[in-house]
Amino acid sequence: MRDLKYLNYFEKLLQEANNELVAKAREDGKICVSYTCENVPEPLLNLGNCVSIRLSAPNTGSLDIATYYMTALLCEPSRALLERAIEGGFNFSDCVITPDGCTMMNRAVENMELLRTMGKDNPKFFHEYMEIAFKNTENDVNLAVLQCTNHILKPLHENYGVDVSDTAIRESVERHNRLCRVIRAIGEFRKGDRPRITGYEFHVLCLATYVCPKYLILDKLEETLEELKTREPDDRPWRARVLLVGSEVDDPGFVKLIEEQGAFVCCDRFCFGSYPGRTEIVLNDEEDALRQVCRHYVQNCQCPRMMNQEKVYSRKQYVAELAKEYSADGVIYEQVKFCDPWAYERTLGSSMLKLDYGYPVLSVDRPYNIASSAGQMRTRVQAFVESIEIKNIQRGGKA
Amino acid sequence: MKNLLKIPLYLLLIALGFFVVTFTVYFFNLDMKATAMLAPLLEKWYDRLERKQYI
Amino acid sequence: MKTVEKVVNPVRRAGEQSPGRIYDEKLKVRARREWRGVKDTFYDYTRWLYLLSVLGRFILVPRNVKGFFRYRWMMSYLFVPHGMDKFTIGLRDEALRIAHTSFNFVIADVTQAIANCFRGDRRVGNDKAYSDKCVITDENSMVTFMMGFDRDKVHTILREVPTMFASNIFHQFNVMHYLDIAQQYGIPGDVCPMPEAEAGISIEDDFCVLGCCAVQNNTTCDGSLMGNGIIAKRLDREYGIPTFQLATPLRHKEPDVLEYAAQEIRNAIAFVEEHTGEKWDWDLYFKAARRVNYATKCRIAQLEINSTPYPQFFGAAFSLYNDTNYMGNSGRDPAFVGIDRKLLELAEQGYKAKRMYAGEYRHRAIVWGVQPQYVIDMLYWMVQCWGVVPLADMLSIINTDMIADEDTPENREQAYRDMAMLNMEMIMRNHTHGGYKVLLDDLWDLCEKMNADVVMMWEHMSCKALTGMHGMFEEQGRARGIHVMWVTHDLCDPRVFTRQAIRDQVNNYMRTVMREEPLDPSLENIPDNEAY
Repeated sequence: MRDLKYLNYFEKLLQEANNELVAKAREDGKICVSYTCENVPEPLLNLGNCVSIRLSAPNTGSLDIATYYMTALLCEPSRALLERAIEGGFNFSDCVITPDGCTMMNRAVENMELLRTMGKDNPKFFHEYMEIAFKNTENDVNLAVLQCTNHILKPLHENYGVDVSDTAIRESVERHNRLCRVIRAIGEFRKGDRPRITGYEFHVLCLATYVCPKYLILDKLEETLEELKTREPDDRPWRARVLLVGSEVDDPGFVKLIEEQGAFVCCDRFCFGSYPGRTEIVLNDEEDALRQVCRHYVQNCQCPRMMNQEKVYSRKQYVAELAKEYSADGVIYEQVKFCDPWAYERTLGSSMLKLDYGYPVLSVDRPYNIASSAGQMRTRVQAFVESIEIKNIQRGGKA
Repeated sequence: MKNLLKIPLYLLLIALGFFVVTFTVYFFNLDMKATAMLAPLLEKWYDRLERKQYI
Repeated sequence: MKTVEKVVNPVRRAGEQSPGRIYDEKLKVRARREWRGVKDTFYDYTRWLYLLSVLGRFILVPRNVKGFFRYRWMMSYLFVPHGMDKFTIGLRDEALRIAHTSFNFVIADVTQAIANCFRGDRRVGNDKAYSDKCVITDENSMVTFMMGFDRDKVHTILREVPTMFASNIFHQFNVMHYLDIAQQYGIPGDVCPMPEAEAGISIEDDFCVLGCCAVQNNTTCDGSLMGNGIIAKRLDREYGIPTFQLATPLRHKEPDVLEYAAQEIRNAIAFVEEHTGEKWDWDLYFKAARRVNYATKCRIAQLEINSTPYPQFFGAAFSLYNDTNYMGNSGRDPAFVGIDRKLLELAEQGYKAKRMYAGEYRHRAIVWGVQPQYVIDMLYWMVQCWGVVPLADMLSIINTDMIADEDTPENREQAYRDMAMLNMEMIMRNHTHGGYKVLLDDLWDLCEKMNADVVMMWEHMSCKALTGMHGMFEEQGRARGIHVMWVTHDLCDPRVFTRQAIRDQVNNYMRTVMREEPLDPSLENIPDNEAY
């Protein structure tokens, strides 16, 4: 296929956390609200003059200093973020808002706070920690409302004078929804026998929506969507279509590696992917916007930390439904090394997807930066692709 | 009457015997040594049991 | 660095002076029991007889024999007397009596728990009427939500306690089998081995199956929360036992989570009422609350004694009793009150007599972190081998606030918040979760209060909440002039760190950093790596 016009541009933006658009946003006088977890309602971080920047640590190499602070057994993303923070890579932040979601990420941010890695020259800088929902009940919605009020809205208003009114929230949701619609529409081109966008390309675009100020990329995303409508797909058939499920994938190289083995990543269901992260938030006029946003996040959350059994089962069903919708031949459950929630979710999910829903499953753990163990991963994916092909042959289909 | 008087003596002897035997077992840890010999056999027993593994 | 005044014991310990000699590497148990002088040996002997009588009475029940041959973990309970020896290494006088009083009570409690499990177990006793009134809970579950239920009508079964937690204390290798099963099914080896072993037990179908419903909790960590999903799936899908997930907020010091937690307690109670058909009784609740408060008062008094030069409460027996009382009992059983009282009396008596656990106390230590299951005698060892006296351990530093214990309309509402508070401040998680302040600042405050110069830091390598603050402990300890002595382990997997490998970390620190020689060289290297 012809290269997407802005692919190289977006790839470049993903090369560092403090990318040119983050710098541009600061020049524009924006308040950079940094965060680390998909469970924080994003529209609330983009109120008024605020822009949300999801912290990431592209091209991570040595983790020596973070490993001293957190030992080698904490997940690599948490250590990579701390390392990057110590290096000064997140100095653009005007505040950091973190849920006490997974313990390791929470500890990473606490270390950042204790080491005063950010906000040295900004007296208004603050760290906030939130409790987040455990279940999808109305009690959890109440919790989310209170937590968002106390740990997002109040501090943003008190420190930076941000307008946190119902109207402001609705406006922010509308901007958020516009972005979601574009990303989801782009993602639709992964469907069908001849997809017009690869999993890698889609992942680059989607990831950029989390780590860049949205208002600075929306036009290019919309232009990319138009470009895709007329893009001529490759004739080369993929050997298999796979759905990727698991921990955050900050390194698009991982998706590229999978696709280099002939497995098209037809859908993404991982932290900071498009499912469920880029689902539109539908608001009504009867209830206040904050409560509706919170309910959306509580109900749509697919985080393995959601503990009620209904959620435990529905997460697998959600994966199965996506696999069906995107015609996946198999599912790859991945977990970044030492991630406890996804370690268990991967175990149970890979078993249920295989036994209850009949999908071939590859269950792997991986480093944060795939370059450090690309060979092993390539072998695992190759074997998985071959096993899917053999199954197809046995069923009388084509290889 | 004489026989009745012997009862406490018998009880004392029984108690003494009980004490000597059990204290020997206690002090030389014979109870745990015997258990340690039994444990490998039990492990084999548990290994042989059919289990329905399920996740 | 901070130093503390050395305290020398003017009294020579009765009986043998080198208990390290009773270990034999050819045996998997000790060569003989310790000679503690006539009085204390006889006392220890009578306590051994008592334990045998508890175990004997248990095994005389036919269904318990059946259960014994059905469940692999039951083998551990053959080694209860061996466990008793571990809990009483080198102890004399009041210290020995404190250890036995608490340990024997816990054993009686665990034995009863196993008997209850077997009674209702579909595969063993299959007493359906009984099972229908049983509520299963987790090993790390505060049972506050059961405080208002009549114990004769609704039975709380902490199913994982006898199966995994307690059994592992008596037999260091027994969970390895279950860890292997869990890992065979794909759970990685780097997660906390405790919930992993519990998931393995469930996969292996080695839990008793009973109860009309189950209440699970997220009280410990991400691993525990996630492991519950695997266990609940089997309970629900295979055995038809509905589960309720009692969500407990992590940031327990924040007032804005309390109402959520209280509502979860209300929901849990409603769930139990629905499935057992029994009603919550406020009279029973407030009686239990008074017992909780009494236990809290005793705990505060114990800490005060331990802040003096003559501490009396420490070691595994004491912390295990605290676990059982605070978490597994939560004021429901009146029998604990008598034990609380007796333990405090013994400690006061010991304090007045200036009793010491070793020949001298060179350092005063706060024990932080989570202790390994298979080196349960470590704190006794540390004081006797090196003269480092543990003053308080993290797992015993729990709630010190009184809860409402008078039945008034206002207090009934307050009661939900009290239960929620206790639940959130469950053992371990009250420090490992809730932000860095409860983990770091509380430790340094405690060092100050208890006049400690050493932190003996159990670094449970798979506990991400603890290890995530490793560097901060180092830096802040250094800034305060407090020795931070790291002792790394893997909780219940002795393949990762053996017992001697764990002790060697203390040996190395004491020799190389403190430049000291052991008080009792016979204990420095103990050949018990292969022992049960």
